[in-house]
Amino acid sequence: MTGPASASGARLAVLLVGLGLVVALVAIGALFLGSARVPPGDVLAVLTGRVKGVDQVVVLSLRLPRILAALLAGGALAVAGAGFQALTRNPLAEPSVLGVSSGAAFGVIVAQVFGLGTGLVEAVGIAACAFAGALVAGAAVYVIASRGGGLPVHTLLLAGVIVGIFFSSAITVLISVLDFDRLGGVVHWLLGNLGPIAPASLAVFAALTAVGLWLVVGQARPLNLLALGEESAQQLGVDAERLKRRVFAGAALLTSAVVAFVGPIGFVGLIVPQVLRMLLGPDNRLVIPAAVLGGGAFLLLADTLARNVVAPAELSVGVITAFCGAPFFVYLLRSRAPQAGL
Amino acid sequence: MTRLLAALALACLLLPQAASAFTVTDQTGRRVVLPAPPARIVSLVPSVTETVFTIGAWDRLVGVTDFCDYPAVARQKPSVGGMISPSLEGIVALKPDLVVATTAGNRHETFDQLARLKIPVYLVNPVAASDVLDLIARLGRLTDRAEAADRVVAALRERIHAVSARVAGRPRPRVLYVLWPDPLIVPARGALVSELIALAGGDSVTADGGHGYPRYSMEAALARNPEVILIASHDATRSPLVRSKWERFTQVPAVSAGRLHTVDGNLMHRYGPRIVDGLEVLARLIHPEAFEKAVLR
Repeated sequence: MTGPASASGARLAVLLVGLGLVVALVAIGALFLGSARVPPGDVLAVLTGRVKGVDQVVVLSLRLPRILAALLAGGALAVAGAGFQALTRNPLAEPSVLGVSSGAAFGVIVAQVFGLGTGLVEAVGIAACAFAGALVAGAAVYVIASRGGGLPVHTLLLAGVIVGIFFSSAITVLISVLDFDRLGGVVHWLLGNLGPIAPASLAVFAALTAVGLWLVVGQARPLNLLALGEESAQQLGVDAERLKRRVFAGAALLTSAVVAFVGPIGFVGLIVPQVLRMLLGPDNRLVIPAAVLGGGAFLLLADTLARNVVAPAELSVGVITAFCGAPFFVYLLRSRAPQAGL
Repeated sequence: MTRLLAALALACLLLPQAASAFTVTDQTGRRVVLPAPPARIVSLVPSVTETVFTIGAWDRLVGVTDFCDYPAVARQKPSVGGMISPSLEGIVALKPDLVVATTAGNRHETFDQLARLKIPVYLVNPVAASDVLDLIARLGRLTDRAEAADRVVAALRERIHAVSARVAGRPRPRVLYVLWPDPLIVPARGALVSELIALAGGDSVTADGGHGYPRYSMEAALARNPEVILIASHDATRSPLVRSKWERFTQVPAVSAGRLHTVDGNLMHRYGPRIVDGLEVLARLIHPEAFEKAVLR
């Protein structure tokens, strides 16, 4: 027992250190790059507290919180995706495919229609509405798809698509009764909006993400056993129902935190766990912790592109994740999938 | 000879009828032929609703949209729904002899559907402040209120000149106008607000960043050290929160100097007579020193 466990422990440590370096590199790049053209020396001077003025605002109040938000959101989405995939034993399960993102987005828009704004207490309220929406959507998918105690793959995906379409239409209805002037903001938000986030909101976002990560990441080993089938997992001492509830709540919380604070960004929860599985194999003890850092690095890279390619204008980060992620995913699917057994 | 006389007589009989047909050219250059000056107009454009009121042709307006909220009496007119998908049935039921629509905000499908229903459509497409004045004069001729409309235009022109005169020769402060705070959306090249800021004696820091109203980089906007920041309010209850978000950036000249202001977006973004109110608001915020004496007097 100690042999394989410690071997995978060592492998995990190497993996996390490597991904940590990637995250650090991307974060440094993101800190130095931007449409405001702050010279690298000035960025360093701001970081050491020697320069005040607008450069300080750009580096410390705009770029740094945005980098942290991107890392949090990317990690949260990737872990939510890995969690849903392990839970449903379906590699295509992902917050947006399962309709959970749409449910959360609906919750956010309902909260806004009822006048919740951008204050701190209100941000918590919006996140709570998002979580409620995500739970309702997830539960609806589960109820629609479950057949005699099981979750057939194609029924699950169809149920997710249908629930997603239902909540998207509900969002469209709400948008059409919203004030015309507010339309622009909502449409951009629906594509993902990593804007300037206030420190207090960032702290709430980080706390919710931490809870969600704690719920899912700690369950990597029982999720491995769940992959053998529920009965086998039960025989190996896993309380399958409790495990599924816990991971579902965690993944829904991660999804709704991201939707509430940066918008429903698609693709990250699908692509990052898939790529990690192609590279590392199916072991959730490696894939799920790696998804925290891998997802963060991927979304931060996408956001750094989003705010630099058409500067001083900006793109929505969701456009970049889909635009760059899809071809990369196709490449991996064609070249690596046979070995990974997908 | 008799034939010629007969032809002349026929022409004389026909001419009055031809003359009674009412032909106008709309703002996009399309010819709109009506049997008579329109008496039952449906406006699908909030700024057109405002203009029709200002020139005194209010009784000719029989229908408006949900977004026509100014003047307050506009709420008493029957609404045909939103700008993007107005109710065709609602429009038909009002038996309009003319529908006024805009190429920026309404959909081409709506124009085509109205054409199939044989309801004449008058299109407007104002881009610059001069187009707004042109539109007021056009709507005046359309509704038999040409003189009143010309008086309105002359008065507006005078107020624009008065603003120009006050701000002329003064240093031009760098202005950041925030149309939407999150994500940041600003007026750029060709946007009416950019023109109004320039007329008000300011230098918009985002005037070169794309076309129309692009999504804009927050750091690029702040890196240009705006001396005045103007945040458009769309909803009175939300603006204080939006303001506090910007007040954090005390290193930005506009914030440290206390020149962070909220302005009524409806005065700046609608192509109606109130843009001159908007211009005066902008000028007073950008050049308060130019208006001090006027306040004292």
